[in-house]
Amino acid sequence: MSAEVSFGRKVRRDFFATPLDSVITLAFSALLIYLLYGVLSWGIFNAIWGGDSADVCRADGAKHGACWTVINVRWRLILFGLYPYEEQWRSAIACMVILVTAVLSCIPYFWTGKRLALTWISGFAAFYLLMKGGILGLPLVVERDWGGLSLTVFIFSSVAMIGMPMSIVIALMRRSKLPLIARPTAFLIDVTRSLPLLSIMFTAAVVIPFVLPQWLQGDKLYRIIIGFAIFFAAYQAEIIRGGFQAVPSGQEEASAALGLNYWQNLWYIMLPQVFRAALPPTINQFVITFKETSLVVLIGFFEVLASGAAAFGTAEWKFAYKEVYVFVGLIFFVFVLSLSRYGAYLERRLSVEQR
Amino acid sequence: MTNATDIAIKITGMNKYYGAFHALKNINLEVKKGERVVVCGPSGSGKSTMIRCINRLEEHQDGTIVVMGTELNDNLDNIDEIRREAGMVFQHFNLFPHLTVLENCTLAPMLVRKESRKDAEATAMEFLEKVKIPHQAEKYPGQLSGGQQQRVAIARALCMKPDIMLFDEPTSALDPEMISEVLDVIVSLAEDGMTMICVTHEMGFARNVANRVIFMDEGEVVEQNSPSEFFDNPQNERTKEFLSQILGH
Repeated sequence: MSAEVSFGRKVRRDFFATPLDSVITLAFSALLIYLLYGVLSWGIFNAIWGGDSADVCRADGAKHGACWTVINVRWRLILFGLYPYEEQWRSAIACMVILVTAVLSCIPYFWTGKRLALTWISGFAAFYLLMKGGILGLPLVVERDWGGLSLTVFIFSSVAMIGMPMSIVIALMRRSKLPLIARPTAFLIDVTRSLPLLSIMFTAAVVIPFVLPQWLQGDKLYRIIIGFAIFFAAYQAEIIRGGFQAVPSGQEEASAALGLNYWQNLWYIMLPQVFRAALPPTINQFVITFKETSLVVLIGFFEVLASGAAAFGTAEWKFAYKEVYVFVGLIFFVFVLSLSRYGAYLERRLSVEQR
Repeated sequence: MTNATDIAIKITGMNKYYGAFHALKNINLEVKKGERVVVCGPSGSGKSTMIRCINRLEEHQDGTIVVMGTELNDNLDNIDEIRREAGMVFQHFNLFPHLTVLENCTLAPMLVRKESRKDAEATAMEFLEKVKIPHQAEKYPGQLSGGQQQRVAIARALCMKPDIMLFDEPTSALDPEMISEVLDVIVSLAEDGMTMICVTHEMGFARNVANRVIFMDEGEVVEQNSPSEFFDNPQNERTKEFLSQILGH
């Protein structure tokens, strides 16, 4: 096929080749335009942007589109949840710290064990100090009051950071040549995967306090994160096991013949190739995990979706739930889209090397 | 009588089983330092399995294997020692696809021999020069032809400065026009006096380069002789049949 096909001809060829094609094309174009118009007229053309109370939207003669005033007035509740109002700047910086840490660790320069570990340890330490306070003149804010976007981002990145190494260890145990290790590991993976995430969170939040001594329990938030991380690791371990199976056996033989030991082979030969092979499902798992953080609301934490619900949960704003959900939806969209695009970038980059 | 220190590899009474299948039957083989041994035989005869036993890619069940004075047993230090002394080249190259040609060559010297990056890179360039692809050092294996990849694989093995090279059908996966470029490299190694065992179907190479040709069939060493005797005057019926099949057309 020639690359020199003109735009007009291409459109005719691809969309208007037969009368039936033309009808389908026109019908779907009309539907698309109708839907787009509906969304735009609600969200933009007939929307109300400014103002500082719900009255602007309820006044006679006010436009009947979206009332973005609610975001104007309530955005701090959505982004920071129950975090004390005067201290919300700390939550904002903490959130930025985790985001910067995440972005930094996406840059190839940081892809050594030492640099990654250092970045994340300092990232989490800064987050914890800022959020919790209690030193350096920062008032104490207990975990129960953390909320909004920074809680979502914190839970997600903690689960990923704890769950990822855990999943590698589990995958290696699952692949062990010793049945005494491989079989129970397989069983535990299956058990964890067959439980709903919610029941694991409830167990971590509510049941564990009856079982563990006080000093080992930690805050409810950390118990939930660990339970969530175990759940994540069970799935991710199977993804990584698939990655191991995708690496040809000749790789292990070549590294053995060169005299590399088990750990050198694992670190320098296997894992880089395993992650390449497992990249698309791994990104998928990250996306799912990011969205599943919303479940912590059921244990009483106000992550961003829950604090969004709180934002329209007053008599004044209860009509504005659509606007708030669209806003929170956009936040999720930006995060998940960046994750997906980063995954696509990685795949492109790695396939250049592999080819 | 050969002096014990002249022996590179000594295999005595080696047997290997895969479950009930008797893959290698009472193998006895002695390779002197500097000797070039070609192993041939029909597929499934155990020739690859035999050389893979020498560096423990396969485990033998009884008999002894001694490589450069080190006995191959369950002692991991001995296995490591032998793997350092014996370089291996595989049928399917087995280059590390995520590393550049240069990194393929420097990884093991840096990790196993603890060489500095600078030294390892200098050695690597020297051997890439020897296999005639120094200008591809920054490329990834997937960007090279099969023949080039196999030459990199040879360079990678040489970078560990092995005393012995084991070639497991080094040209069997190559397109015909690339076979000679790889064989040329192996010939130049032979000229340098490298001890080598080469499993191959390249009978011209065997005749010109080997000191000794070994014929294996059904897990046994059936016949071994100097190349001229082996090709011109084979003793065993199975050898004659194999040679007529492989040289007959």
